[in-house]
Amino acid sequence: MLTALWALPALGGVLCLFTKGETSKRFATTVAAAMLGYTVWLSCVPYAPEAGVWGLVESGPAWIFGIRYQLALDGLALSLVWLTAFLTVVSFAASWRGAESGGFSAGFWSSFLFLEAALMGVFLSRDLFVFYVFWEATLIPMFFIIGLWGSEGRRHAAMKFFLFTFFGSLFMLVGLLALVTHYHAVSGVWTWDMGELAGANPTGLAGLLMFVSLIIGFGVKIPLFPMHTWLPDAHTEAPAAGSIMLAGVMLKMGVYGFIRVLLPVFPRLSWDLLPWLGGLACVNILYGSLCAMQQRDLKRLIAYSSVAHLGFCVLGVLSWTPEGVAGGSLQMLNHGITTGALFMMIGFLYERTHRRGLSDFGDLVTRAPWMTFFFGWAVMASIGLPGLNGFVGEFMCLAGMARALPLMAMVAAIGIVLSAAYCLPAYQTVFWGASTAGSVSSKVLDLDLREKVLVWLLCGIMLYIGLCPTPLLDALAPSVASLVADGFMP
Amino acid sequence: MTPALQVGLALFCLGLATVLLRGRLLAMLLGLELMIAGVTVILTYQAGIFGDPGGLAAVVLVIAVAAAEAVVGLCLILRLHHGGRSGESGSLAELRE
Amino acid sequence: MPIPVSVYLLFLAPTAALLVAFFLFRPLRPQWTHWPILASCAVVAAASMDLAAKTYTGWSMDAPLGVWMAAGSWEVYFGVRIDGLCAAVLAMVAVVGGLIHVYAAGYMREDPGFARFFLCFHLFFLSMIGMLVSNNFVQFYLFWEGVGLCSFLLIGFWTHKQSARSAALQAFVTNRVGDLAFLVAILILLKAYGDTRFEYVFGQMAYGGGPLLLLVGVLLFVAAASKSAQFPLYFWLPDAMEGPTPVSALMHAATMVTAGIFLLARSWPLIAFVPGLGTLIAAVGGVTAVFAGLLACGQTDLKRILAYSTVSHLGLMALALGLGRVGIAVLHLIMHGFFKAVLFLCAGNIAHGLGKSAADISEVGGLRKHMPFTLACFMAAAISLAGIWPAAGFFSKDGIIEACLEAGPGWAALALTAAALGAFYISRMLFLAFFGPSPEQKPGHPHEAPAGMSVPVGFLALGALLAGFLSPGIGRLLVKGAMSPEESLALAHFSWPVFAAGTSAAVIGFAAAWFLTIARPRFDWTWRREHPGLQALVASDFGWRHVVAFVVKTSWRFAEWVGGALDHRTWDGFLEWTSPAAVSLGGAVSLKSGRLSDYMWWIVMGTAALLAAALI
Repeated sequence: MLTALWALPALGGVLCLFTKGETSKRFATTVAAAMLGYTVWLSCVPYAPEAGVWGLVESGPAWIFGIRYQLALDGLALSLVWLTAFLTVVSFAASWRGAESGGFSAGFWSSFLFLEAALMGVFLSRDLFVFYVFWEATLIPMFFIIGLWGSEGRRHAAMKFFLFTFFGSLFMLVGLLALVTHYHAVSGVWTWDMGELAGANPTGLAGLLMFVSLIIGFGVKIPLFPMHTWLPDAHTEAPAAGSIMLAGVMLKMGVYGFIRVLLPVFPRLSWDLLPWLGGLACVNILYGSLCAMQQRDLKRLIAYSSVAHLGFCVLGVLSWTPEGVAGGSLQMLNHGITTGALFMMIGFLYERTHRRGLSDFGDLVTRAPWMTFFFGWAVMASIGLPGLNGFVGEFMCLAGMARALPLMAMVAAIGIVLSAAYCLPAYQTVFWGASTAGSVSSKVLDLDLREKVLVWLLCGIMLYIGLCPTPLLDALAPSVASLVADGFMP
Repeated sequence: MTPALQVGLALFCLGLATVLLRGRLLAMLLGLELMIAGVTVILTYQAGIFGDPGGLAAVVLVIAVAAAEAVVGLCLILRLHHGGRSGESGSLAELRE
Repeated sequence: MPIPVSVYLLFLAPTAALLVAFFLFRPLRPQWTHWPILASCAVVAAASMDLAAKTYTGWSMDAPLGVWMAAGSWEVYFGVRIDGLCAAVLAMVAVVGGLIHVYAAGYMREDPGFARFFLCFHLFFLSMIGMLVSNNFVQFYLFWEGVGLCSFLLIGFWTHKQSARSAALQAFVTNRVGDLAFLVAILILLKAYGDTRFEYVFGQMAYGGGPLLLLVGVLLFVAAASKSAQFPLYFWLPDAMEGPTPVSALMHAATMVTAGIFLLARSWPLIAFVPGLGTLIAAVGGVTAVFAGLLACGQTDLKRILAYSTVSHLGLMALALGLGRVGIAVLHLIMHGFFKAVLFLCAGNIAHGLGKSAADISEVGGLRKHMPFTLACFMAAAISLAGIWPAAGFFSKDGIIEACLEAGPGWAALALTAAALGAFYISRMLFLAFFGPSPEQKPGHPHEAPAGMSVPVGFLALGALLAGFLSPGIGRLLVKGAMSPEESLALAHFSWPVFAAGTSAAVIGFAAAWFLTIARPRFDWTWRREHPGLQALVASDFGWRHVVAFVVKTSWRFAEWVGGALDHRTWDGFLEWTSPAAVSLGGAVSLKSGRLSDYMWWIVMGTAALLAAALI
């Protein structure tokens, strides 16, 4: 049942390669919609949160050195699986028209299906080797998506993305190998199972080295300062759908790795190194916001804002408090939805005008009032306005960190001023304001029905989570409780 | 280290140095022959020490192979000269990637 | 205890009106968008009166409505608290807000953004109500930011004007700085007490707090100072006059800016526990009052005069509150809401009559002939502002002067100076606009405002005159269900020396204004021409605006340096350099040069290495 979550999109991707033109688009979207439906069914019917932390488990035969094909689904994994399926549908719907006339080729749609399969695998796997395989597998479709269907600087951005994240993954592999070997040396058992390795708790220099290599591996993905410079290029040059998947889901892999692998296995070390790691997260927030203030390209601005937002997630997760970890998990979802909506709308603008610079627009409120309204809504969610989803996540992360290291939470909170400082002038320049010479605002038509439905859906979810996050938090609660119960409560 | 071994080692090192440091193919061929000569000396000496006729047989084989290889090498070098190419190893870089 | 219907109506009516207006009226009949919204205003006004009446009889409530966020044992709830303090302010907000909604229906009639205006305006109204009835700090923060959002949308309402856009941005970011302080205070409270409900937190005050409480108190004051425009975070308020007049009247006079004072009044049990904080608040308030009062005397735009006047009055409220007289501060908040709204709406009528969005003193003069009704309302409100008996403003200003006289000569000097300045600038505005005209003015000939705009102003003017007689009732209302001690909520008692002091300060201001505007009609223009340096000084708020501009510019430069030089060129540049460096390194140690000697070297080296490894 769980295998279908990654096997079906993969199969769909393969089949899609044999189709052409319009058929491939419809076929791929049908597969994605089916996956979304399946995910929703999975969350309602066989999986019940009270069934335990690891709600659904599927295992296969053991291989060498304790590697075993094992998938499991609990609240956190389910929420990310849902996010993946949902954002895949959103990115397909957002690319419906295609950048040029004629739409995208079949390879485009298959790449996304392969990406969805790999992402599902990452979130589902309970065996570290399977986790690593799926982790690497996400790089390949994304490389093609950026490199073949992106904008002008796509080759360079794709290579940079691939080399950077691959470099980090190598560190992760080394760390994982060292961890498994250490566990074998200590207990005599070869296992790659996340749950069993959680008892490893290596210490000393070896433990520190393992920890650091895993930090590098996950940190490149998050992206944690100073390993973040691949992000602006990759986000900017990717096509709209690519940016949605990249910012919406792929960045969460790093934080997910933190929650699933790093914290349970290294509780003592992560608590002792909290000032350093939390400091890096704070740098993410402040540095990312400051960089965002300087950007003149809409997509680069949102990319740097993602750096800042993920900093909040990391702060929350590192705090070892229920509200912090729950906030970090929730903020992963929130960020996916909010940034997905922002990239989608920037994609709409780019589709219409092939430009995305701040000075290329102006006075869009006259031509496209609905786009102005929804973009403003998403911007307000992004800067953490209470009542929308961004605030709930950020607040819980900050509250958690305030219990752990109050000073760090205070420094991180400065991010809320900076986020207003970089988002709102850009919003005003693009959507309000006067049309400057050379602006392409006259080419912009307002949202059509398909686009309106999409943004209504996303913005409605933002408001719903903002005022009523309880269902999501309840679903996440068992996973949070298992992590925090095993570790330290400061 | 007996004198025979010293002579053999000296010949070998001299030949090695010639191969590595000289650019002209003819010189490298000479160096190769010197290396073979050095190895032959050591092999003969060791065969004598242990009284092993197999070693001497190997020496004869080595001399024969060295002669054949020298002939082939000289032919190749002559071919190069006739073809108008220079005899410097640095200019023969077609295998470069 | 069951929650009364009025409480539900307070939230449901505006929400329903907004949904109906947005989904039904705006697409189909945008010019009727205001009808559901005005209906909601009426319902809210009735509900708030009902709650005020209930609270007057001694009823109060503090109940949770539902969970907002929860994780493990950590929880944040939605809750409602109705007690005397919030019932009194709520009644004022509902009445003044409703009347300004009616005014706005007339004022914004021809504007193409009519529907958008009313939606934003009513969203603000809903947020303000939500803030007033919150029972914990986090929910208060939710609506606090909501009010800030609506301020942003409404100040920048005319999106084509650059000045409006930058004023909106400035307001939002400056308020965000205060919000940061508020958020950090909430985080500290959560860490220390685990729960931010007012009742719970203030109940813990008895166990002492130490440095943590000091930090929370100071942070709450910084938050209030940014929202309620205390020096040094006041500068966004005069620029916020770029918004339409109803916005200025409701948000930046009567309600939003008083949110900070309300926060301080709500948190008084905490503030009172921190030694010295009250004095700090009073000092900042007093300085603000005098500083802004001086600046108001030199402004030329009608709305800016009133904006600086608002800053000055907020300073007076903070002054009274800091000295421990919370009741007097709240009373002034309520009275100020009435008379300031009237003043702003009259300025709006003048501008509307002239066919513009704002009016300068050079464009008005002698308007008493054309706009007698507006003159009457303006005079009523001016008398109230100056604090002359029996207008409403007298009762609250009298209380402030009494509090300051009791507290010490320095405070008294601040209060009396601010009172005299108040009388001066409002009389100056009255004379310059309605009397004369001075030879320097080129007045238009505005017509009187239509009924839809005059009637609300008239009602509010009546309120500005007569609301003072409600003050004993308000005083009794404030103590019902209060968390602060009774003596802090007490209002002033009449005493002749205080009356004399206040009235003479007002008379001095009035006389000085008469002298400098009627007796010397050209003075207001000649001093600007003859002393351009002084004019520049006043225009830059005695140099403070230069300081703010410098801070903003430096921050942008820093951000540019970080984003451009540091991140892009230096760090990313280094990382990008590694790639071509690796390529050239690979080229340098290439195994495939095609040269025989290279290959020979590799063979020799390899063999030597293998031999070494085998032998060692």
